[in-house]
Amino acid sequence: MSDMDGLFGGLDRPVSRRELLRRAGRGSMYLGAMALLAACGVEAQRREEGERLEPLPAEPAGQLIMANWPLYIDKGPTGSPTVKGFEQEFGIDMKYDVVINDNEEFFGTIREPLSQGQSSGWDIIVMTDWMIAKMNRLGYLERIHHDQLPDFEASVADKFRDPWFDPGNEHSIPWAAGITGIGYDVEAVGRDIVRFEDLFADDLAGRVGLFAEMRDTFGLALASMGIQSPDATVGDIEAAQQMLIANRDKVRGFYGNDYTDGMARGDLVASMAWSGDIFALSLDNPNLRFVIPEAGGMRWSDNMAIPIGAEHPLDAHLFMNHVYDPRIATNITEWVWYESPIAAVQEMIRADAAGPDADDLSCSPFCADLAEDRFVFPTEETNAQTIPYKQLDEEEEQAWNDLFQTVVQG
Amino acid sequence: MAYFLLLPGGVWLLLFYVIPTISMLSVSLQEGSLEQGYRLTWNVGVYGEVLLRNDTQIIRSLLYGLVTTVVTLLIAYPLAYTIAFHGGRFKNALLFLVILPFFVSFIIRTIQWKFVLADEGIILGTLKQLGILGQGFHVLGENAAVLGGLIYNFLPFMALPLYVALEKMDKSLLDAADDLYSNRAVAFFKVTFPLSLPGVFAGSLLTFIPSVGDFINSTYLGSPSTTMIGNVIQREFLQNNDYPEAAALSFLLMAAILVGVALYARILGTEELTG
Repeated sequence: MSDMDGLFGGLDRPVSRRELLRRAGRGSMYLGAMALLAACGVEAQRREEGERLEPLPAEPAGQLIMANWPLYIDKGPTGSPTVKGFEQEFGIDMKYDVVINDNEEFFGTIREPLSQGQSSGWDIIVMTDWMIAKMNRLGYLERIHHDQLPDFEASVADKFRDPWFDPGNEHSIPWAAGITGIGYDVEAVGRDIVRFEDLFADDLAGRVGLFAEMRDTFGLALASMGIQSPDATVGDIEAAQQMLIANRDKVRGFYGNDYTDGMARGDLVASMAWSGDIFALSLDNPNLRFVIPEAGGMRWSDNMAIPIGAEHPLDAHLFMNHVYDPRIATNITEWVWYESPIAAVQEMIRADAAGPDADDLSCSPFCADLAEDRFVFPTEETNAQTIPYKQLDEEEEQAWNDLFQTVVQG
Repeated sequence: MAYFLLLPGGVWLLLFYVIPTISMLSVSLQEGSLEQGYRLTWNVGVYGEVLLRNDTQIIRSLLYGLVTTVVTLLIAYPLAYTIAFHGGRFKNALLFLVILPFFVSFIIRTIQWKFVLADEGIILGTLKQLGILGQGFHVLGENAAVLGGLIYNFLPFMALPLYVALEKMDKSLLDAADDLYSNRAVAFFKVTFPLSLPGVFAGSLLTFIPSVGDFINSTYLGSPSTTMIGNVIQREFLQNNDYPEAAALSFLLMAAILVGVALYARILGTEELTG
């Protein structure tokens, strides 16, 4: 066909006008496609952080939208008493959505608007410490006005002030802290689970779970090999990766918070678990136990933060301050059974348990045990058994994620 | 003048297919990260990398797609045949029953299977209590569960085109076959089946292509050992934020499906397919 001679084939013949137009059209189409290809870059997604605090509005907007993990606030027959109490006291209509199942998964849903500097639809989100550090690095969190948080200043325990992932608490304040360990049904398993490797016993194959949370799973695997996460190199991670891949066919799945469904249904008899969840589940199934693996568990904190573009920042601050009231914090902890960042809570639970209304408490009849529980109120000894996450820079994070990817997919 | 009628369709294709495809091709050749931005470096090596790393998942997805298509064909053909030839007054009601699951969202339908097939659920729990199954038996997380989910979800996609093809067949051709002393089986293979090939082809495409790229069934009913290429792409995109690799994988998936479909069309022969 004559028009397939190519741009250079016809140069030695006189070119008709139609031929020229046709070639010009094709040429510009190619150029256009190339230009489109080259233009399709993805801009750097970091927001430059201003040094100036965003000024808060004078009046609360009357609305608040918060995202949190499941089983993380007290629950009554018609919803959370804390949320209801807040709504009544401040006249703010609050939407408390339990939509967070996994840090990366949730971040993936809000990343796009945040990278454009637009509202993600949330006023408060609760993310684990390392994700706060990552979002901070990207400039996606508003600065917090500590003058709006008198209860935080007064009540927070010292160990939660000025943490490694957010110096000065400039962008986040803690919601709860916990430990990653192993939860198991002692009756279904038939024995105690003591070490991380116990999960890979042959008789439990197909009924155990690990976490999709890379830092937790690698953290426990590294610990079982004698390596503490903050000291881990990429070579160590590769060894952990090999160990996990070797045992992968015994694992039923890599879960987010939905591991609790698996344990409640009996699909999982043993799984990596978060300390407070197991206690909540054990109310229905008293055979469930939580244990910190012998080689060490991971310690972490989940923190409230305000993403940039939040539409109701003053209301957000009001709620953040509200949950730092020791009485409110105690109510939450009596239901949630995770470590509270408020120092006075342990003493208040003891007082509640000994008081006249002990039977009406959400934690009864375990309130006295709760106050002394070493996972909810870690002692020095318990703390010594836990390991913090490593602060990863972007390159390391990508390397670790790539290695974890090969673990998670078969 | 007539060419102007092509304009709406052409613009639609351009906006929603051509440009996104070029964009995806471009992204796959870029390098970079979320924080530093991505730049077009013509990194063709990413295709080889991604192919080697995920070859198991690609092959598994193609196999799942193939098995799903074949099994849905085996189930849907008798179903469509019965409704078309013996449905009588109940044709509409039966068709409605076939479509009824679609009234519920795809994801919810799949999650429901998680409860139905739960280790101690209605089916398995009862069977275990009766002693028919051992205590350690489970279906969820095995290939069977994912395939079952895929077949269940895509059955109507195969049944409906088959029904349409069979319905519009001229039944007097079967009378003619009878007049020429053929028995029922021969009449089926020589008359009915060849005439229904356009329906088979359409149904196969509608089943094979989505099921290869599916990730919902594997997420809810599967385990790490049933990871499909759709899961890998989703994870690369949403969690690892590794756009070039996700885009490269998507392109490879598209290419694999195109090759498969072209082969299929060639085997069946285009004469038969245009009815």
